[in-house]
Amino acid sequence: MSEFDAALTTFAQESEELLISMEDALLSLESSPDDSETINSVFRAMHTIKGSSGLFGFNAIVAFTHEAESVLDKVRNGERAIDAELISVLLDSKDLTARLIEHCLTQKDAPLPPELEAASARLIKQLSGSKETGIQASEAETSKLESEGGGDISVDGSWLISLKFQSDALRNGMDPLSFIRYLQTLGEIKEIITLIPGMPDGDEMDPESCYLHFKIAFQSDASKQNIESVFEFASDDCDINILPPNSKVEEYLNLLDAQDESHVKRIGEMLVQVGALTQNDVNRALQKQNESRESDDQPGKPLGKILVEQHVVQEPVVEQALKKQEQTKQKLAAEANYIRVDATKLGQLINLVGELVISSAAMNLIVERHGLADAGDVAASMNTLVSSIRDTALELRMVQIGETFSRFRRVVRDVSNELGKTIELQISGGETELDKTVVEKINDPLMHLIRNSLDHGIESPEQRLAVGKPAEGIVQLNAYHESGHIVIQIADDGAGLNCEKIVAKAIANGLIKPDHGLSQQEIFDLIFAAGLSTKEAATNLSGRGVGMDVVKKNIEALRGTVGIDSEEGQGTTITINLPLTLAIIDGFMVGTEMDRYIIPLSMVDECIEMDPNECEIDEVQHYINLRGQVLPYLRLGDYFNSRKSDTVKRRESVVVVKSGQNKAGFVVDELHGEHQTVIKPMGKVFENLKGITGATVLGDGNVALILDVQGLIQAAIKNRTRPANFLKA
Amino acid sequence: MSNLIRKENGKNAVAVQEQIGQYLTFLVDKENFAINILDVKEIIEIANVTHVPLTPDYIHGVINLRGNVVPVIDLSARLKHHSAEVNKRSCIVLVEVDVLEGPQMIGMLVDEVREILEIPPTNIQPAPDFGTDIRTDFIQAMARVGDVFIILLAINHVLSLEELSQLNNLTHEQQLD
Repeated sequence: MSEFDAALTTFAQESEELLISMEDALLSLESSPDDSETINSVFRAMHTIKGSSGLFGFNAIVAFTHEAESVLDKVRNGERAIDAELISVLLDSKDLTARLIEHCLTQKDAPLPPELEAASARLIKQLSGSKETGIQASEAETSKLESEGGGDISVDGSWLISLKFQSDALRNGMDPLSFIRYLQTLGEIKEIITLIPGMPDGDEMDPESCYLHFKIAFQSDASKQNIESVFEFASDDCDINILPPNSKVEEYLNLLDAQDESHVKRIGEMLVQVGALTQNDVNRALQKQNESRESDDQPGKPLGKILVEQHVVQEPVVEQALKKQEQTKQKLAAEANYIRVDATKLGQLINLVGELVISSAAMNLIVERHGLADAGDVAASMNTLVSSIRDTALELRMVQIGETFSRFRRVVRDVSNELGKTIELQISGGETELDKTVVEKINDPLMHLIRNSLDHGIESPEQRLAVGKPAEGIVQLNAYHESGHIVIQIADDGAGLNCEKIVAKAIANGLIKPDHGLSQQEIFDLIFAAGLSTKEAATNLSGRGVGMDVVKKNIEALRGTVGIDSEEGQGTTITINLPLTLAIIDGFMVGTEMDRYIIPLSMVDECIEMDPNECEIDEVQHYINLRGQVLPYLRLGDYFNSRKSDTVKRRESVVVVKSGQNKAGFVVDELHGEHQTVIKPMGKVFENLKGITGATVLGDGNVALILDVQGLIQAAIKNRTRPANFLKA
Repeated sequence: MSNLIRKENGKNAVAVQEQIGQYLTFLVDKENFAINILDVKEIIEIANVTHVPLTPDYIHGVINLRGNVVPVIDLSARLKHHSAEVNKRSCIVLVEVDVLEGPQMIGMLVDEVREILEIPPTNIQPAPDFGTDIRTDFIQAMARVGDVFIILLAINHVLSLEELSQLNNLTHEQQLD
């Protein structure tokens, strides 16, 4: 039973993946309807789901997917053109399949609810009923002629051997006749035709040259290899082509089919293995391929084609081999490149690696304390290993964000249809990687933001044309890495935010007072406040004013930030900044008089010594001159321990940190250097604590706190607007 | 099994009439308090506590408990509103509090751990409406031991995470003062 359940789980996962890839494929078909590979992948999705559902006896799914499959098969064979209408129907079919699967998985034995039944019947009708656009199956199966460039021999069940002796053959001591005679020891020569295509007239003929070509129909049970070995000595002076009898073709096809799929083989290799070709055939064909490639810059002709042209193997055999090769490739692509791993196991591994990092830090500490020079080397090399293990382990959890992004293509398509707008989604940076847990949690906020852009951002086509924009709106999704963070941007070229509207609404809601004196940026940030929506009428998509605050909260829960930038009439850009991982980071350890803190290394720009002269005027001035730039700074010790420490002059350092556009300095007493930091959650007690994101266990067993650079800078900015308070703090 | 009992106990925390319970007594600011022994995970010596900045007084700091970061609450500050003086008898009593995401360990800094008492249900009375100098919702019941009353603490209230995590507003006020 449990095995069955496991199989069901696999089925569910597999179908989900297939359906996702099907949706992607369908959407990309909209722009490039002739891409046969994409059509194939849609077909495969339906086909595979049908097959696996059959295994479990989910007849409803089988019945439906069968219809979809047959329509797709027609498309694949060119009997039916793919158009927007069909794509819509297929997208609906995909959704229905998903629902059918869900139904079958949750209530296996219950009959299909009527609405599913109806939907399925309707779609089947749409699938098959919509116009069967022409392109009838071209009578492709025109009977092929065994044209053998010269004499025609057509004896079924016989090998066709063509021997083209070169002119030097006789001079080199070859006797064509002896080969033919020897051939008879292997079987029976049914028919032989002698050709003399290159024979010059009269005087020009050199009696010592050989002009003879032979076509032999040969009946034998010997393998191709054996027949070829008859002509082994002649191979230098003679072009030998041995075409297997048609009766053998069947055998080769079966053998090809039975070949194992453990790795992708080259086509020649496959054909040699089943005996349809000999190694010599392949070598010659490869040579030919190289020659043809040298002549022009194009990639050479496919090997299969050359082989057929050379009449060493029948076309069906090559086709079958190609098909098999393709199958193997796909199977391997699906199987070997990925191993399904339970996410919790991966989590355990990461935790263990975390512990490893901590203990290796402890070991380093001891080695250092005892001054063991030889142990130091070992410790250093182990350190390197540990950090690469750490990086690799974390990479295991990294996934590309592209899949998440492309899911939104469907959203954009559906929503823009619903709203009567034409909107194009442009995706870039899909290959950017980030932690899987982050990806999962970012999905909902992204969905929300995109819907917002579609609904509020992009105007209707008429409005757009009226202000001189193209009717089609553009929403851009972009992701890239920036100093240990991943940045995700959602940009639209719509109407932009209207400051006055926001302010009016905020005042109406009592969020701000009429004499607010807020900067434009602060006004934009208001839309993240609860209960604020600038859309007058709420649609069923968005506009209820719940959401943006949830978006902000969700992103902050991932230790990320969200910012907004907008220009009225030009569009809005929302920028999400997220940490790459939630587990282990490279940190930079600093110390104030009593405590030690970790600053994420990716945010540290540089460290400089605090100039004592600057310190003198500390009380009034909280910035220093960094190579001509103003750098505001924060005294970590004072900020955190609100009581003023006794002003013993120490040597202080400034750690210059950078967060987005902002740069700031943290004044600390000690610099401890780099430290591999395993982020330990601080627990619910500290969830509202600003300025600290987590804690880590140091090598000596103590706990150090990890600074939230962005949070600190923001807190400082906030405080600066109330200077009196800040000074006291 | 022990888990089962614990659950049961937690559920009926208000219902005082139970079989004879064992209670751990400890000293906080010269006063005896007790908690049900089944709530106690372990008692450890006071180790290197890392102070967490910008937190109210009742957060003593965080410690490293076998690789996990565990917050330590200063019971004296929580109950009596003045910070504890750490002496050589000070201990950390570790208890587990259930939150949505699962159980969370919390340490309680106490001045001294006394003994384990068996108190029959008949000796346990509901808390008085007033008359104690600690918040009434912190008191689960009063236990009579000999001639004196010992306050049985309502751990769920004393270590209420919702309340403890409200540190932001508090700290900001403190900052500005």
